[in-house]
Amino acid sequence: MSWQLIGDSLEWVIGGGLTLAGILSILIWKRDKTKRVSDLRIFIRIVAMIGMYFLFASPAWLLAVLITIIAVTLFFGRFFCGFVCPFGLYMDFVTLAREKLRKGHRRLPENINRALHLARYPILIFFIIVPFLLSGFSSLGLPSALYFSGPFKAWTVLIAPLEPLVVPWGNGIIGFPEYSTSISYPYLSIIRSYSPATDFALPLMLFFVAITIATSFVTRRFWCRFCPTGASIAIVNKFRGFKWAPILHINKVEEKCTKCGICKRVCPVQVLDVYEKKGGDIKTSMCMHCFRCVEMCPYEGCLKVKMAGKTVFQSRNWLEPSKSE
Amino acid sequence: MKNQPVEKKYMPELPRKEIDEIQSTVKTASIKVIADNIERMKKTSPNRPAAMQYFDEISNFFGQRQKEIIAEKAKGKKVIGYFCMFAPIELILAADAIPVRVNSGWYDTSKLGDRIVPVEVCPVIRSTIGAKMVELSPYLELSDAVISTLTCDGMTKLSEILSDCKKVLTMSPPRVKDSAQSLHLWNEEMKAIKAQIEEVTGNKITPKKLRAAIETMQKATKAFRRLQDLRKGNPVIMGRDAMLVNQTATWDNITRWTEKTDALCDELEKRVQQKQWACPPDTPRVVITGTPMFWPDNWKLPTLIEEANPQGVLVGDELCSSDRLLYDPVGIDEWTMDDMLNGISERYLMASTCPCFTSSDGNEDRINWLINKIKEFKANGVIYYVVRGCMLYAMEYSRVKKALDKLSIPVYYLDTEYTREDVGQMKTRVEAFLEMLTARVEF
Repeated sequence: MSWQLIGDSLEWVIGGGLTLAGILSILIWKRDKTKRVSDLRIFIRIVAMIGMYFLFASPAWLLAVLITIIAVTLFFGRFFCGFVCPFGLYMDFVTLAREKLRKGHRRLPENINRALHLARYPILIFFIIVPFLLSGFSSLGLPSALYFSGPFKAWTVLIAPLEPLVVPWGNGIIGFPEYSTSISYPYLSIIRSYSPATDFALPLMLFFVAITIATSFVTRRFWCRFCPTGASIAIVNKFRGFKWAPILHINKVEEKCTKCGICKRVCPVQVLDVYEKKGGDIKTSMCMHCFRCVEMCPYEGCLKVKMAGKTVFQSRNWLEPSKSE
Repeated sequence: MKNQPVEKKYMPELPRKEIDEIQSTVKTASIKVIADNIERMKKTSPNRPAAMQYFDEISNFFGQRQKEIIAEKAKGKKVIGYFCMFAPIELILAADAIPVRVNSGWYDTSKLGDRIVPVEVCPVIRSTIGAKMVELSPYLELSDAVISTLTCDGMTKLSEILSDCKKVLTMSPPRVKDSAQSLHLWNEEMKAIKAQIEEVTGNKITPKKLRAAIETMQKATKAFRRLQDLRKGNPVIMGRDAMLVNQTATWDNITRWTEKTDALCDELEKRVQQKQWACPPDTPRVVITGTPMFWPDNWKLPTLIEEANPQGVLVGDELCSSDRLLYDPVGIDEWTMDDMLNGISERYLMASTCPCFTSSDGNEDRINWLINKIKEFKANGVIYYVVRGCMLYAMEYSRVKKALDKLSIPVYYLDTEYTREDVGQMKTRVEAFLEMLTARVEF
């Protein structure tokens, strides 16, 4: 009964929150031209996160989501990371909180950042191999263990960042068994299923939550730099045969660039290519398509977001120029 | 502090009488030159925008603005002068001080500077030294401290020479722009200059004030770009007028300047709609690049171009005394003190196209800036203006020429001095170039 109430009120809160977010987004869109895309992204991601609550109800749906992500990624690059990923949203909320506290952030040294980006691939391979190794200890046998039993869902690691704050199962930190929901967090269900005893799992999970919040407080989007999901997405675009596939790019016009360095400074994952590249399409798997650089570039038409050769959105004089000849 | 007998390392001890004598002579001549320049600008464009009236008034060094600064100084405000575009105006504004650019454009004082430095030295430097010797420049005299950025060789020594009689705050920009260590050095310089500005003014630069200052400058940039955008189409304003507007930003109250520039743009937009052009739309469009030109005396080249026969119109320039001044805004990601300081330091270092930088790609930023300007402003030709002694600009000429040859844009190298004597022969050269451009336009 009481859980029912909490659940119902939660839905109301979500609904109300959505409306509020919408109104807020529109207001900010009008007010601050330098934050339009950022706010729109927050809005889109909140909607996506709520949508994901329902998707998380069944593994079949999750598989479908994964396939969609990979298919979409083929054409749009890491668009998913910038516009859908709830884990990224949490980290952005931490950033917003930090901005409210007027604390500065720290940039990772470039070589460490690059090393982390390269480390994505070993991390991904590790996560995929571990279930195979552990399956030997399972009573279910290899094939079924891979697909069904808790610790062996190799692909869950790929969709782990998709985990919204509330999930319809009891695997989170705080569970509401009567309502069969729990407060969750990305990767927690995996940590929980890998840790041998339940009383060890909870501190481990809390530690994970604490450390991700703390790191993203110091460095923006810390996890995204070595996220295995990001790596899997990046791999799709790395295949030689798929070079033709990506149709979403950031494009740079060399002559309009004054190398003022704003794009380098605002990038949450410290992509250098936008700044360093002389011109043309920017194709790096480090970029997670948040388009913050395009939004902040003060030179009209210098940076463009191009989809299939067409300009979708371009950097403009956010100081508002006059509309004349 | 003023009464302490400090041994002067460079500056000669001139008798008071001589200083006053030269000062009054040059001042009288200068007032005449200012009036004369404005008169000629009015003559060139008979229906000059009415909003230019304000800029004509403010352009007088010995007029309204001088009185205003004196009045504000009496109220306790400090004045901080600066030489190069690298000086962080936002920080000066945030410390409640008045920023004024103090480079000298007086021809007459450059001869006085010869007493201290050899004639081979860039006349901008010599003229500034000369102006200081006879205490001519009102803004330099009124400033409590001067920020000198050690860009070219002239500026480097100028800061040393001036420290004889002024408090000079130096900033040393790295000669390579885009390496991590150079940006680090410049960030540190920015922090140091912030502390020095705070010390001079006695005001603390708080994040709130700095944010307000950055936003003030962003608004100024907005108005500034609006004016430049208007010059992209058919000429609605003569280049000299626009240049004067741009340059007044360096000594005017920036908020008021923004308002007035917006008013000017409103007027110009109306003219665009009514198709009232300042000169015939097929006038050859010229872009100047090279050594900065300073009001009032060094108005030689723009005057020649726009009064020549055939006439040319100045649609843009790549001068740190005009079109580059406020073009780049400070872009702030997060409004924290750290990010604001980094933003400011990046805007001044990275976006600069000063030839004092070197890189393996041959100061590509400047070339790109020029090419973009030429394409956007549909320029027909470029005049590469260099004063004798300005090594860095002179040395980059062949690089620029090569790049522009690829676009088949004619470039003309024009070297001159801080003197009125060569106006006649310069006129011949400019007119020959414009003749050629006219032929190209018609062709």
